[in-house]
Amino acid sequence: MDNKLIDLQGISKSYGKNLILNNLDLYIKENEFLTLLGPSGCGKTTTLRIIGGFESPDSGKVIFDNQDITDLPPNKRHLNTIFQKYALFTHMTIAENIAFGLKIAKKSKTYIDDKIKYALKLVNLDGFENRMADSLSGGQQQRIAIARAIVNEPKVLLLDEPLGALDLKLRQDMQYELIRLKNELGITFIYVTHDQEEALTMSDTIVVMNQGYIQQMGTPEMIYNEPENAFVADFIGDSNIIASTMIEDEVVEILGAKFKCVDKGFGNNTPVDVVIRPEDVELVEPQMGTIQGLVTHLIFKGVHYEMEVEANGFKWLVQSTKLVPVGTRVGIVVDPFNIQIMNKPESEDEEAVTLDE
Amino acid sequence: MIKHLKRIYMGLVILFLYLPIIVLVVSSFNNSKILGKWDGFTLDWYKELFNNASIMNALKTTLILALMASVIATALGTLASLTINKMKRSTRSVVMSITNIPMLNAEIVTALAFMLLFVGLGISLNFATVLIAHVTFCIPYALLNIYPKVRQMDNNMYEAALDLGASSAQAFFKVTLPEIMPGIMSGFLMSFTMSLDDFIITHFTRGSGIDTLSTKIYTEVRKGIKPEMYALSTLLFVTVFVLLLLINRTPNEEKRRKKLAKGKKSHATLAMGMCIVLIISAVGYISFRDDSNYIGDVYVYNWGEYIDPEVIALFEEETGYKVHYEEFETNEEMYTIIANGARNYDVICPSDYMIEKMIDTDLLAPLDYNAIPNIKNIGSEYMESATGFDPGNRYSVPYCWGTVGICYNTTMIDEEVNSWSILFDEKYSGSILMQASVRDAYCVALSYLGYSINTLDEMQLKEATNLLISQKPLVQAYVIDQVRDKMIKNTAALSVIYSGEAIYMQEENPDLEYVVPDEGSNVWIDGWVIPKNSENKEAALAWINFMCDPNIALMNFNEITYSTPNIAARDLIEDEYIRNSQIAFPGESVLSRCEVYNYLGKDGDALYDGYWTKVGTAASE
Amino acid sequence: MNKAQKRNALLSGPYIFWIVLFIIIPLLFVFYYGFTDGNGHFTMDNILSIAKPEYYKALVLSLVLAVISTLICLLIAYPLALILRNTKISKKNFIIFVFILPMWMNFLLRTYAWQAILDINGVLDSFLAMFGLPSANIINTPAAIVLGMVYDFLPFMVLPIHNVLVKIDDNTINAARDLGANYFQTLRKVIIPLSYAGISSGIIMVFVPSLTTFVISDILGGGKLLLIGNIVENKVKADNLNLGAGLSLILMIFIVINMVVSMKMDSGIEEDAMLPTDKSSKVGGK
Repeated sequence: MDNKLIDLQGISKSYGKNLILNNLDLYIKENEFLTLLGPSGCGKTTTLRIIGGFESPDSGKVIFDNQDITDLPPNKRHLNTIFQKYALFTHMTIAENIAFGLKIAKKSKTYIDDKIKYALKLVNLDGFENRMADSLSGGQQQRIAIARAIVNEPKVLLLDEPLGALDLKLRQDMQYELIRLKNELGITFIYVTHDQEEALTMSDTIVVMNQGYIQQMGTPEMIYNEPENAFVADFIGDSNIIASTMIEDEVVEILGAKFKCVDKGFGNNTPVDVVIRPEDVELVEPQMGTIQGLVTHLIFKGVHYEMEVEANGFKWLVQSTKLVPVGTRVGIVVDPFNIQIMNKPESEDEEAVTLDE
Repeated sequence: MIKHLKRIYMGLVILFLYLPIIVLVVSSFNNSKILGKWDGFTLDWYKELFNNASIMNALKTTLILALMASVIATALGTLASLTINKMKRSTRSVVMSITNIPMLNAEIVTALAFMLLFVGLGISLNFATVLIAHVTFCIPYALLNIYPKVRQMDNNMYEAALDLGASSAQAFFKVTLPEIMPGIMSGFLMSFTMSLDDFIITHFTRGSGIDTLSTKIYTEVRKGIKPEMYALSTLLFVTVFVLLLLINRTPNEEKRRKKLAKGKKSHATLAMGMCIVLIISAVGYISFRDDSNYIGDVYVYNWGEYIDPEVIALFEEETGYKVHYEEFETNEEMYTIIANGARNYDVICPSDYMIEKMIDTDLLAPLDYNAIPNIKNIGSEYMESATGFDPGNRYSVPYCWGTVGICYNTTMIDEEVNSWSILFDEKYSGSILMQASVRDAYCVALSYLGYSINTLDEMQLKEATNLLISQKPLVQAYVIDQVRDKMIKNTAALSVIYSGEAIYMQEENPDLEYVVPDEGSNVWIDGWVIPKNSENKEAALAWINFMCDPNIALMNFNEITYSTPNIAARDLIEDEYIRNSQIAFPGESVLSRCEVYNYLGKDGDALYDGYWTKVGTAASE
Repeated sequence: MNKAQKRNALLSGPYIFWIVLFIIIPLLFVFYYGFTDGNGHFTMDNILSIAKPEYYKALVLSLVLAVISTLICLLIAYPLALILRNTKISKKNFIIFVFILPMWMNFLLRTYAWQAILDINGVLDSFLAMFGLPSANIINTPAAIVLGMVYDFLPFMVLPIHNVLVKIDDNTINAARDLGANYFQTLRKVIIPLSYAGISSGIIMVFVPSLTTFVISDILGGGKLLLIGNIVENKVKADNLNLGAGLSLILMIFIVINMVVSMKMDSGIEEDAMLPTDKSSKVGGK
């Protein structure tokens, strides 16, 4: 797993005046499920297309299996892509679609037939050989697209928001399907999505991107629990992000009140951002809380209640299984382990942008 | 590298598409009247364009026709798109298939179908018939643009409007219509362009007095298109070109994208605005002319370039009749129009044998000589000759006459030309222009073989046909009036032509000579006749009388250089050389070996026509 | 039939009336004239006259020239449409107009200009003479007629193909490349099959007018080459409407054959495929 299968070195790409990728370095290990996550326009799809060979970078190198493939056309690369809108060949049957790459590679007829059978079985669509591509539902088409790619036994499968066009239920089913496929095939997946839940569910590694930069790279747990900056925190799940001051090691002043935390080394009286997940905010009797506030909104969300608490001029998002009616005065406490301290962004570019979801 | 190849390829295709347009634009600034012969820069044609009533008239007709046809077609297409969309699948496909017929069928078949419909129902062709035809062939193009928009439209939008309290009419005008507007606009533009560029269907369905630019150009192609036409086309083209350039050249990409929705609209609006401005100016121009003494209309049908345009203006001024002047190229073509009642004219100028045929088929009205006092100016020998085809001079008054002969270029032909045989000489292969009309072509062959040019003997005709087929490889082209330009341009060395043309050609190119071969030839007379169905015989008689006025006949002679039977006019010719020209006024020695064409009867015509088609389709290589 | 359907039927009335009266009935008149003689008696002579060598030859010549010019149009138009497909959107509208724009110069004039270009001692000859080359000598030959047809009808081939090509998703082409096909394999196996609809309507739009033209052969053929269109026109001019109608019916047989064959290529003519000016559909994309 430590082998760098794909290594992107100093990739930059711009369209006209728009800089899409700026000196990007990224490596993908063998047999990894790596997800590029970010809002639209962050450069994730461009990165994928550069790996696939559909775009060439303005500068930088793409190393695949220790070979420089930067200038290799897509048909010479041992990787296959699953496109968002399936891109099936509508003038061919399912079998012809799946056989396409194999026929180009001049495989024998029996080999091709076996592969078709195998691939259709793998994606749970046995017996669909002679259907036309556009007679299938979206989910089925996407499975065919996967089957069409994997019969070529690529070392890497590139998936460009493959579930984006499917409805919610189907999307969830397909997520498990993809994990199963990945495990059965034992190949590397590079997955592009803007859906953080999808990324958290499936990935070994998540790369959060924004404005052409990598914001954070790590396991789903790391990304969720220890976001490195406000952008990541905001993008992954719901959070309370509050501008605060680090008084000294292990003490942070949030909205005028001192909270205990576990972080050190930020220096004294340093401005920082603090991230507190809504499920980590505990509501207690007013006098017990570090700060006090008033419940202003309440919604029942099934597994829990979601409340808004106004305290010291900030609207706290709180999730709890306990109902606290609107108008109740409450106190707020947070476990020191659940306070995530982040440096303020240094440059304009790194600053979180307004998200579109 | 590949990028450059692509650029070069695209450049070549665009050059191919625009090369003829460049030629036309350049020609509009060319001093010479002849296309492809540069003779210095001039802007005269642009000035003359606005004084050329017939071109301005044609422009007006074209634009009004295109505007009306495209508006009606777009309206019908919109109605159709909306209702077709709600039809059952099977009904819809039937309706769509029928709609598309005019687009998929051959234009000539569609045109013929319309002509047969109108002729068959006894409706004479007029503006309405050509409008109906245009609307019908524009509909599929309108539908093609509108229907996809209707199909794309979310039906819930209309329902949402109703839900929000709009009446169904309000919902239609405020929601449905704006939604499909881009389709309607492009449908309109497409229809407008198609109607504007149409020739074939207009050619078959237009009524008398209705000339569009296309039909006008087609008649002019024969004698060389008037350079004013190039000027007009250049103006039209440049206007559209500049408009499109402005629309497409919005500098900022982002601005452009924002404006996209608007841009489409403004593009259509601009184009429409331009059309309307053009029409208004054309109409304004036409109505600006003084017509205070207007008393009626007269529809004249004459050979191409067979009159001095000034004469028409003078006639209008003097009599108060508005002249609708149109041209034909062959007697046969004219006959079809008249015999089928396709178009009505008041006064026509056919040739001798055709006059005989028209008398025979009872198409002509006898003349009232009381209304033609100027008949005294026509030489008695010509009146006498005319009795050959019009016994008693009851139906026709001679207008021009002449012979058929050979025109040759003395710099290219060294030998003396006095026989038709030179037209069959392989030495001159590729340099010979033959006449494209049946009778004249057979006149050459039959005269050469020593037979009568009115023969009905099948053996003789077969022999003549074989001779003409054997001549085909030597012939550069079969033409009628185009002989003139081609000879002047030195494109050919030898041609068969009417004496009247020869004088004009000599003026333009002194190397040309005209001769009536020793074997004999045809002498012909064209005369004015009044068709039976003329609606204004009084005006027609006034026209004929006017043509017999010596000064008018002289004006015509000077302009068209065809021999006039008007003795009084001939005496007025100033140029002594011309007055005594053997070409214009050949002596007895020439005339005695020439024969007049007779009407050969329906079977005779069919016989000639059948043989002539054989010549036409025989392989030339 | 419910109220809405009734209203729809009522509204579609004027249109149905129009197309029946001015599309169906005129065609019936062609049939009537084609199967009768001048006196209204039934006859097969008009139809059968196509067997006469003079008509038969004209038909064969027309078919040959129409097939040649259609093929040339296709060969010129397809690469062009491919190039246009890859052009940036900002230029796309403009390029479409490049092909519509010439229509604003009357087509008779444009064809006539070709006569001036190709004529003996014409523009082309003068150009060739500048380089000491002999004259081209193609005026009044079948080559000149084919050139005229290609010139006049090329846009009708380019536009439908272009319209289909721009609708092919980039990723469909990328997918083929991704699966190992090189450019020409992609072209042959994916792009061309997906553009059959455009090709077939292009063929119809070029073949039919080429087969039936009389103007082009008139102006560029010097009257030496009679096409079937010329014959029909001459018959009408010579007041033989019945024969003209009869030969038109023969022409229609070939038009229908051409349509059936072209449509076989594609499952059916996609209505949008023939749509030459619907630019809006693509502009919204990325």
